[in-house]
Amino acid sequence: MTPPVSAPVIHDVNTLPSGDNVNPYAFSVDVQGQWFLQKGKMIAYYGQLSFDGVGHGRFDRLLAGSFHSPMHAADWVVAEGSGKMLLADRSFDINSYDLDDGNLTIRSGNLLAYEPGLALKQSIIPGFLTLIGTGKFVAASNGPVIFAEPPIRVDPEALVGWADCPSPCHHYDHQYLRGVLGGVRRLTGLGGASGEEHQYEFVGAGTVLLQSSEQVMAARPTGATPGQQGVPRQRGGVGGLLDM
Amino acid sequence: MADFTLQGSKVLAVRMGGDSVKAKNGAMVAYDGQMAFKRLSGGGEGIRGMVTRRLAGESMTMMEVKGTGTCYFADRASEINLVQLGGEKLWVEASNLLCTDGGLRTGTAFTGLRGASQGNGLFTTTLEGAGTAAIMSDGPAVVLRVAPGMPLTVDPGAYVAHTGNLTQQFQSGVNFRTVIGEGGGEAFQIRFEGDGLVYVQPSERNTIGGDV
Amino acid sequence: MPFTQVNSKVVQAKIQAGQRLYSQRGAMLAYSGAVSFTPDLAGGQGGIGGMIGRRVANEATPLMTVEGDGTVMFGHGGHHIEVIELSGETLYVEADRLLAFDGQLRQGTMFMGQQGGVMGMVRGQVTGQGLFTTTLAGNGAAAVMAHGGVLALPVTPQSPVHVDPQAYVAHRGELQNKLTTALGWREMVGRGSGEGFQLELTGSGTVYVQASEEKL
Repeated sequence: MTPPVSAPVIHDVNTLPSGDNVNPYAFSVDVQGQWFLQKGKMIAYYGQLSFDGVGHGRFDRLLAGSFHSPMHAADWVVAEGSGKMLLADRSFDINSYDLDDGNLTIRSGNLLAYEPGLALKQSIIPGFLTLIGTGKFVAASNGPVIFAEPPIRVDPEALVGWADCPSPCHHYDHQYLRGVLGGVRRLTGLGGASGEEHQYEFVGAGTVLLQSSEQVMAARPTGATPGQQGVPRQRGGVGGLLDM
Repeated sequence: MADFTLQGSKVLAVRMGGDSVKAKNGAMVAYDGQMAFKRLSGGGEGIRGMVTRRLAGESMTMMEVKGTGTCYFADRASEINLVQLGGEKLWVEASNLLCTDGGLRTGTAFTGLRGASQGNGLFTTTLEGAGTAAIMSDGPAVVLRVAPGMPLTVDPGAYVAHTGNLTQQFQSGVNFRTVIGEGGGEAFQIRFEGDGLVYVQPSERNTIGGDV
Repeated sequence: MPFTQVNSKVVQAKIQAGQRLYSQRGAMLAYSGAVSFTPDLAGGQGGIGGMIGRRVANEATPLMTVEGDGTVMFGHGGHHIEVIELSGETLYVEADRLLAFDGQLRQGTMFMGQQGGVMGMVRGQVTGQGLFTTTLAGNGAAAVMAHGGVLALPVTPQSPVHVDPQAYVAHRGELQNKLTTALGWREMVGRGSGEGFQLELTGSGTVYVQASEEKL
């Protein structure tokens, strides 16, 4: 007797979605033209597609419009042609976001791919990138993304990004830092820290994106900033608020 | 024949009534009833199979589980996919094989250039016969059809298994060369042509062929 | 019940003035309202004695007290979270798997010789360390972490369950446990290694098993 096993869903070039998830961890892009993607995130494709590093000369004009992070060019690839391409990242959850003449700031390690209608720029917050314009982008997160509204305070490691609201500020638990317990801790070394003395505080109107874990996605270099007065210094290597 | 069902997507329950299954060594997490475990040398097909396997460098350490009751299998929280075979052949990376019906024949096959590109495992595990196989993937596998005129290109790190009559060809993936001659390494891809199904995982964790 | 599951990896707790929760340090993802997080000097309710007991028991997973009025989200390491509700029973769980739990629950540590010290029993027998396990008793809920999903297997007097100690997460109910080994298992995984044993759980209750042989 053959036990019943539910037949798996079989996809082909026609049944794969266009610009939508195949499952929570794989995303199908219908490429007609060009897409930017992070190196190493394409898992399979149908059709005629070529992949070139963004440093490739013939993309000069495309880059001028859509790519403004000069230092991490080596981590990005342009997919060009026509076909369907599957994106995934270490079986992390994948979501797509549509911006309509909007802007969204995202941790560099979470961004997987975007279409050239959007422009990618370095955020003034180290380790974050800002997407501006109209179009779709694809991002990964450790666990599903949770959308929250300000006012909220967020563990820095759980922050994926934010849209429309003002950039966050640092919040310190002063009661803890200065209180009796702090004194005891200084005197005896006992007790340690709760690990929650510092958060990012968001206020105003907008949306804050959280991931389901405080495990940060490995940061991608966002590039150094010009060393001039008035520009907060960013490290040229792997950027991130956490190493400040 | 043993009855395979999934408990969630990461635990496999196999109900047995005195029959046996082959499973990845040590992948049992719980059982009720009576079970006996036996290490299979060389995948269970005797000395010839063992020698072939040695040569193949495929380290498939399997065990035979025999008994009456339900045995639960899981491995490092991997996603489990059930594949029903009705006489055809399944090619699967040995490390992705969790459990098979005792009656499926296991063997090794030469995989050519893809193996060469990974620098290890020139051979892959094959399963043949009628019955159920449970294969593992990092995240739920996506099953993609290959048909004449509809070839498929896959990142070697995302490839899990395939069935059908397919040829595979190894090709260069991304051109990282820039105008100023800055090199960014090279990446490889596998191109499948013919008629069959390819299982890919939403992860490229084990890519040895390079980043695409 | 103070915990709501946001998704498989995040739980949300609503706290009101006068209530408190304990959680693993650093497991807060976000909060709104006036909530304070204090490192738990006394290791939970056990007092200093409890803390020392824990140190000795090698179960010194650092906790923090969460108090105030607001909403807090917890998650840790991308692990799956199972909320287990208790109504008067006792839950036996390794301390490092506890993400957060209701302050009303009575905490304790259980010496391995008695029922409960499951991992301790295995570790104790095999490696000579970690003879205690944590117990939570009373009315309330606990959020427990596991690698991969959690499978709850019922144990009845007619059907004992054998569990790979590496995959064991927690158990509840009137269960007795002992180390056994199945026919052929020790020969296969290697004699003398801790993996050569299984836990046999008999009685009536539930054992929670994770989809992995990996420790957290």
